[in-house]
Amino acid sequence: MSDNALNAKRDPKRLPYLLGIICFIVMPWLPLNGFYVFLAQTFFYTLIAVIGLNLLLGLSGQMSLGQAGFYALGAYGSALTALKLGWPVPLAIAFGTFLAALGGGLVGVFALRTRGLYLAMTTLAVGYVLDILAQRWIGLTGGAMGLSGVPQLEFGLPKLGPVFFFYFAGTALIVIQLLSDFIHDGRFGRNLRAIRESEVFAASVGIQVSRWKAGIFAFAAALAGMGGAFFAHQSGFVGSDAFTVRLSIALLIAAVVGGLGTKSGPLLGTLILLGIVEVIAGIDKYGLFIYGLILVTVLLAFPKGAAGILDSLTTKLGLSRKKITLLDATIPSSKEQLSELALRRIANEGTSLCLQGLSKSYSGLKAVDEVSIDIKPNTVHGLIGPNGAGKSTIINMIAGVYLPDTGTITLGGQNISSLGVAERAHLGLARTFQNLQLIEAVSVLDNVMLGVKHQQSYTKDFFDWLFKNSLEKNERQESMNILNFLGLGHLADRLPGELPYGHRKLLELARAIAQRPRILLLDEPIAGMNAQEAKEIAQVILKLRQLGITIVLVEHNMEFVMSVCDELSVLNFGRLIAHGTPGEIQQNPTVIEAYLGTGVKK
Amino acid sequence: MQIGNIIQLLSGGLAMGAIYVLVALGLYITHLTTHRVNFGQGDFLMVGTFLMLLLRKVGAPLGVAIAATLVVLAVMGWLLERIAIRPLDRKKTSPVGAFSWILTTAGIALILQNVIELGFGKTSQYSAPLFSSQRDQVVQVLGAGLFVEEILVIVAAILIVAIFYAFMFHSRWGKNIQAVAFNPESAKLLGIHTDRVKTGVFIIAAILAAVAGILIGPLVTINPHMGLVLTIKALIVAAIGGFANPVGILIGGILFGIFESLSNYLDSGFGDLYPLLAALIIIAVKPSGLFSEGRADVR
Repeated sequence: MSDNALNAKRDPKRLPYLLGIICFIVMPWLPLNGFYVFLAQTFFYTLIAVIGLNLLLGLSGQMSLGQAGFYALGAYGSALTALKLGWPVPLAIAFGTFLAALGGGLVGVFALRTRGLYLAMTTLAVGYVLDILAQRWIGLTGGAMGLSGVPQLEFGLPKLGPVFFFYFAGTALIVIQLLSDFIHDGRFGRNLRAIRESEVFAASVGIQVSRWKAGIFAFAAALAGMGGAFFAHQSGFVGSDAFTVRLSIALLIAAVVGGLGTKSGPLLGTLILLGIVEVIAGIDKYGLFIYGLILVTVLLAFPKGAAGILDSLTTKLGLSRKKITLLDATIPSSKEQLSELALRRIANEGTSLCLQGLSKSYSGLKAVDEVSIDIKPNTVHGLIGPNGAGKSTIINMIAGVYLPDTGTITLGGQNISSLGVAERAHLGLARTFQNLQLIEAVSVLDNVMLGVKHQQSYTKDFFDWLFKNSLEKNERQESMNILNFLGLGHLADRLPGELPYGHRKLLELARAIAQRPRILLLDEPIAGMNAQEAKEIAQVILKLRQLGITIVLVEHNMEFVMSVCDELSVLNFGRLIAHGTPGEIQQNPTVIEAYLGTGVKK
Repeated sequence: MQIGNIIQLLSGGLAMGAIYVLVALGLYITHLTTHRVNFGQGDFLMVGTFLMLLLRKVGAPLGVAIAATLVVLAVMGWLLERIAIRPLDRKKTSPVGAFSWILTTAGIALILQNVIELGFGKTSQYSAPLFSSQRDQVVQVLGAGLFVEEILVIVAAILIVAIFYAFMFHSRWGKNIQAVAFNPESAKLLGIHTDRVKTGVFIIAAILAAVAGILIGPLVTINPHMGLVLTIKALIVAAIGGFANPVGILIGGILFGIFESLSNYLDSGFGDLYPLLAALIIIAVKPSGLFSEGRADVR
């Protein structure tokens, strides 16, 4: 490696990993009590399970109270195939992991439709059922008496078994920690966080929410299963006592205490958990009490966990150096890039949108009644009307959040009436929300990157990230260009929460632009903005139209609407009452009576 | 299977089903109002059962024991809301997201299990009968020997469910609760103390758990870890009713109890798992519950 490359960007993850790997290689050869090697093994496989839970709960916001069940699936899947079928241990562990993933995918069916309470309930119940099966299906599992003589990793050298196991489990852990870091840093993490923020929002940027939710659930279950599979081969004994709800709680404690949604949280949390377990071993009588107390205290007093505490400590003590991010300072956009942005847009020529006879009722109340609107390509089309006229319902029907009772929606000649939100996003529909939708936990730049299309394979992304310390470089540059285009470039590293309202609105627009829309739906784009900001938005909208995007907007500020729109549709009580250019609308007597009022003449 | 046998199974299933309904109604009322439930609802029940056991052992008269149990549990419900639920609402950006309450209430449940275990030991115990003179007093109904205790538990449970419904739908308090459930902001504007209502529903839920705990005592053997199963079953019964339909909960709970009683009889090994699995499948297919229309509640 050339010095140049070394100096150019120091990879912030290199040092901790190198240190970890050195300790890991050396440890079994130190003159330590075998107990410590055993403890380290336990640490490795427990951490694997906790990493999975952290991804599930910390990133996607889905609750599982049944990880012990998947852990048990992995343990029995691996122990039984190795013991009864004579499979080699690594293959058996892989099978156990796969079995748990399968179980997780099955439970993920629930995750597709519900979350929060229902998922917590379902996972709790499934964990309980699996626990009972482990206890009572003695013919298979041996119950509490357990399976003994489960093959261990020996390669003919029983004395070195623990060391082999140590290296095997440890290597698995390092790979998984790397994967977890990669997920946190890049597109996976962003998409999962978007789902956690709001599912409708995530779908509107083109994320297939159900697939992602089921996928991350299966992945977390697989990691729990892998933890269990390693556990089964550690000492050669598997008894059903290990898989009670207490284990699920312990894993949750590790994830929560360490710091949910952080990269180092699981590691810290698992260390703390094993510490607690060692302490409790002496006073087992109070075990549950201590678990409960920790859970409640941490959630109430230190919800950010050990990782959060460590973070604020190092900041306070001034220990943390200037933040080294993956981003090479702020990426400037050259004039060419800004105009290239413009050039690229043209590839996505705006398209027509045709609403035909749309109706929608909410329990008998007609919100939208037989509305037909033709939106021409490359125009700015305004939907106006008094509150309750049905504007938001129409926007939501175009975006696919609501399905119309009758009528069709055609996008550039293609009937999209029955497509889901994410599918419509893929066809070039982007939108902003009346009540701003941003991912608060990641930077401004990452929020824009959420909209950008993924440009190379995940495998390539992973190796770029691992060896070149560069992740999604093209996407990053494109997002930066858009931020610069909107004048937000200098804020790229900030969190959205640190921005004033007007900038947050612009940021949301930036994300929508990043989706390279053919149709852009803006729901009250200047609500809450001052006159100056409104003017800027108007400029942006006109520029976007120049670039070829078709824009549909809902807005109450008439001055703004009249200045940016090419055509207007006026709604009242769910009906289309007028349609035409701003000039025609201002003269239309029905509109004046229903909405504008006579005051418009001044 | 003889007719008598079936009647016996029905009576036992009905009694347990009635208990599930009581526990699930506690979950229903807090979910309706606050979108939160106590994941230790079953453990609250367990505490109620052991309190009764203790009070009766030290010779407290039945009425006093019941009253004391209800009061203690009411206080526990109040404390739970104040300690483990309300403080979380002030932290808008908790990393656990909007579901921290699941873990805090579960944490409290663990503490309760440990406390009771320290006080009473791990082994299963029997409570004294509430209504009959001895545990196995039997009456003949249609040629079947039924436990007096079971029948009276059913009657008591039905009465309490009726009182609950009258309270919910015909009292001013119940109307306040519904107003807060519908829209807390506008309820506040109408002069309803929404905070008090939110605490109130957790007190009611705890009292329902206490009632169920008092009634279940003589029917089953009790131990400090019995709560988890009851929490799971009550959650599932509430979910069969879509967490929003008290009539659905009533029907769902009773069907669940009867199904369980029959499947336990037919398969003593895994019988208790069948109704759980069946209910899970129902919820997977129809997340809004068996007795409600429309979409799942995905809040």
